[in-house]
Amino acid sequence: MKKYFYVFSLSLQQAMQHRASLLMDRVRSVALLLSLYFLWSALMQNQDSFLGYSRTQMLSYVLCMNLLRAFVLSTHAWDMVGEISSGRISSYLLRPIRYFGFCLARDFSQKVVFLGSALLEVFLLLWCLRATVYFPGSWRSVFFFFVAVWGAFFMYFFLAFLVSSLAFWTSESAGPLFCFELLLQFTAGVFFPLDVLPPYVQGWLHVLPFPYLIYFPLSIYLEKLPLSSILHGFMMQGVWMVILGWVAAGVWRKGLRVYMAEGG
Amino acid sequence: MKKYFRVWWRIAVASLLTQFSTWLSSVGYLLGKLIRLFFFFIFIVAIFQHTKSLKGYSLAQTVLFFLTFNLVDIVAQLFFRGIYAARRIVMEGDLDFFLVQPASPLFRMACGTVDFLDFFTLIPVLALVGMTFSHLPEYLNFFSLFFYVLLVLNGILIALAIHVAVAAMAVWTQELENTIWIYRDLMTLGRFPIDIYSSAVRWVLTLAIPIAVMTSFPAQAFLGKLSLGWILFSFGLSIAMISLSLGLWNKALKEYTSVSS
Amino acid sequence: MSSTIEVKNLAKVFRVPEKSPGLRGALSSLFFRKFREIWAVKELSFSIQKGELVGFLGANGAGKTTTLKMLSGLLHPTSGQVQVLGFTPHQRRIQFLKQISLVMGQRSQLWWEIPAQETLKLNKEIFELGDSEYQETLSELVEVLELQECLDIPVKRLSLGQRMKAELCAALLHRPSLLLLDEPTLGLDVVMQKKMRQFIREYNQRYRATILLTSHNMDDVVALCDRVIIIERGQMLYDGELNRVVERYAPHKLMTVDFQSVVDTERVAALGKIVSNGGSRMVLEIPRKEVSSVASRLLSQFPVVDLTITETPLDDVVRRIFTRTLEK
Repeated sequence: MKKYFYVFSLSLQQAMQHRASLLMDRVRSVALLLSLYFLWSALMQNQDSFLGYSRTQMLSYVLCMNLLRAFVLSTHAWDMVGEISSGRISSYLLRPIRYFGFCLARDFSQKVVFLGSALLEVFLLLWCLRATVYFPGSWRSVFFFFVAVWGAFFMYFFLAFLVSSLAFWTSESAGPLFCFELLLQFTAGVFFPLDVLPPYVQGWLHVLPFPYLIYFPLSIYLEKLPLSSILHGFMMQGVWMVILGWVAAGVWRKGLRVYMAEGG
Repeated sequence: MKKYFRVWWRIAVASLLTQFSTWLSSVGYLLGKLIRLFFFFIFIVAIFQHTKSLKGYSLAQTVLFFLTFNLVDIVAQLFFRGIYAARRIVMEGDLDFFLVQPASPLFRMACGTVDFLDFFTLIPVLALVGMTFSHLPEYLNFFSLFFYVLLVLNGILIALAIHVAVAAMAVWTQELENTIWIYRDLMTLGRFPIDIYSSAVRWVLTLAIPIAVMTSFPAQAFLGKLSLGWILFSFGLSIAMISLSLGLWNKALKEYTSVSS
Repeated sequence: MSSTIEVKNLAKVFRVPEKSPGLRGALSSLFFRKFREIWAVKELSFSIQKGELVGFLGANGAGKTTTLKMLSGLLHPTSGQVQVLGFTPHQRRIQFLKQISLVMGQRSQLWWEIPAQETLKLNKEIFELGDSEYQETLSELVEVLELQECLDIPVKRLSLGQRMKAELCAALLHRPSLLLLDEPTLGLDVVMQKKMRQFIREYNQRYRATILLTSHNMDDVVALCDRVIIIERGQMLYDGELNRVVERYAPHKLMTVDFQSVVDTERVAALGKIVSNGGSRMVLEIPRKEVSSVASRLLSQFPVVDLTITETPLDDVVRRIFTRTLEK
């Protein structure tokens, strides 16, 4: 356990070293945060509610989305693509450390840095615009929210791990990754709450794992869901976690065999 | 001029062949870009199912803003794609070759690669712009169209100035990493009409980082919401930025130290 | 001005930012940058006539490449005058650039993922070559460089030697009258080095092109150049005939001999001075004129497995000249 903590702290230091790329990542998030925040506040200037969201709820959706995106949808998994194509991955495999655990620790450091930065961004925005944030009426919602966030955390970890493993088979995974990430962000509810979409599209999306990454935890936080839907959501998270975890581990093992067979 | 067109064409062909050699990746990028376009389009249409106006703009008008943003962004991507590799071009010494060959090194750097995929995203955007115009017949006349086109070109010119400045910094310092990506991320602030922002942000986006001038002004001019003063300001701004960035570029070339081989 | 290259009191100073370690150092360097001045080239003067093939020698960091880059217009000189083909290089006039070419070993202008053919076509447009002119030069170069199959294969799949030849082809397409070669044989194997030298000589003779090449490989220079310019720490050390340098500072060749077994050192020493002795491998220093006779005697009297003859390493030659000039 201790060695994974070292990986975590080393990655943390590395993130501080690469401030330029950190800055770049955050500028992207801030630009999205600002444009969405102002878009919704302009839209709700003349109406009290939109799709059942109050003004405060809608703006809180955008603000909390920034936090959740920083915590859930951030990963170092894409580094794996480079590590596989350059052959550097072998050096991890030779050491007495589990790559899975290594990745988890590394991801966690990224998430801590991003979350810290995202919190700062949100507070700055709140301070500048003197806005108010929605806070759940019951502690039960807060509790469920945190459970859902951790569920989302693991789902995304397995998902990113799975998709990055494709690099074992092709050296050209950069384009597909770009495409996948965009698709994921839209269907997870990063750019807009999924309520905006027609009901049949929503129903269709909810069979997929993506809405349970951002949209579902936020709906709990904003208390838009009855208990039955929350429980149903947890069930879906659980099912997807198992499926993704199982497939990711299988694909990884298979990819490793292909990789070793080709001599790296 | 003819020479540069021919050089550009050869670079374009070579880029296309390069992209073919990694077709899987290319298809991924293309699909990603189309998905982004499509989803945001759907988003705007869906919003207007529940509201009548966004800061006084109708659906078609809002879509026009969104498409104009894409138009300027994609054209800049298509023609100045090379700047994204500015640091690599400097560090790996490609710039040395550009400098000893009889063609403008700035041109070689900016157009160093041509992203053909952007043609595939540009075509639907252009088609959609045409369709949007037909939904706004009350605004469509020679002058509105004239100023729209002129201001789009002006926006592309400002984008060029920013790209040149970034290239100059890359040549000069050899260390500014990824600056152009920050511009690109900030650019997304222009996806929706500039009017949605608070006045402070609007001023920043007009005067400090002139994203509004690039993405929102053309649509505003088309809709007759931009005064002549602002139109003249836009042209003045682009001229100033272009001359400033070219000056920076020449200075950078003079200070250029080349990398040791 | 009649000479192709005319250099007077040329100097280039690089200002290198000094970096202090740590976060605080990085932050303070953002605002207060300290610079150290490095004189890469100092008070250099020489001239080269049309059609000459000149070797430009010096140790690593002596300022060869910097000078070459100033001659080609890549770098602005800090002070002094440069005239090349009647132009001031760093003004980078189109007419000037159309007449020169700079080849840097281990640097490539070829597009990596696609056949070299495409880069050649691009250069055709950049140099505004006519179709027939292009075809003619291309077929000539392809023949001389033995490039027949190489141009249609993606560059990344070519061998280093093939790539270097394709590189030369791209650089010579516009038949430059001045060719600047920076370490053209770096990284090539012996056979390829030899071919490369042959080609450079032929290009020089066929087109009466002026060629200036830098190298830290003495063999390149001995095989190609009648005249050498040697610089050290940015300053001129020697400018003149190669023969005189060879006579005075490199009168010997080095002979590396591998024997089948350990041999009697004294018997070998009778043939020449032993520079290093590794039992079954010895390095001998042999006066130039005696090289062939010593070689045949070695082969007949000893069980020789392998024998190679090389020039004295350039660094040694430069060091010898350097100490000699200091003594003066």
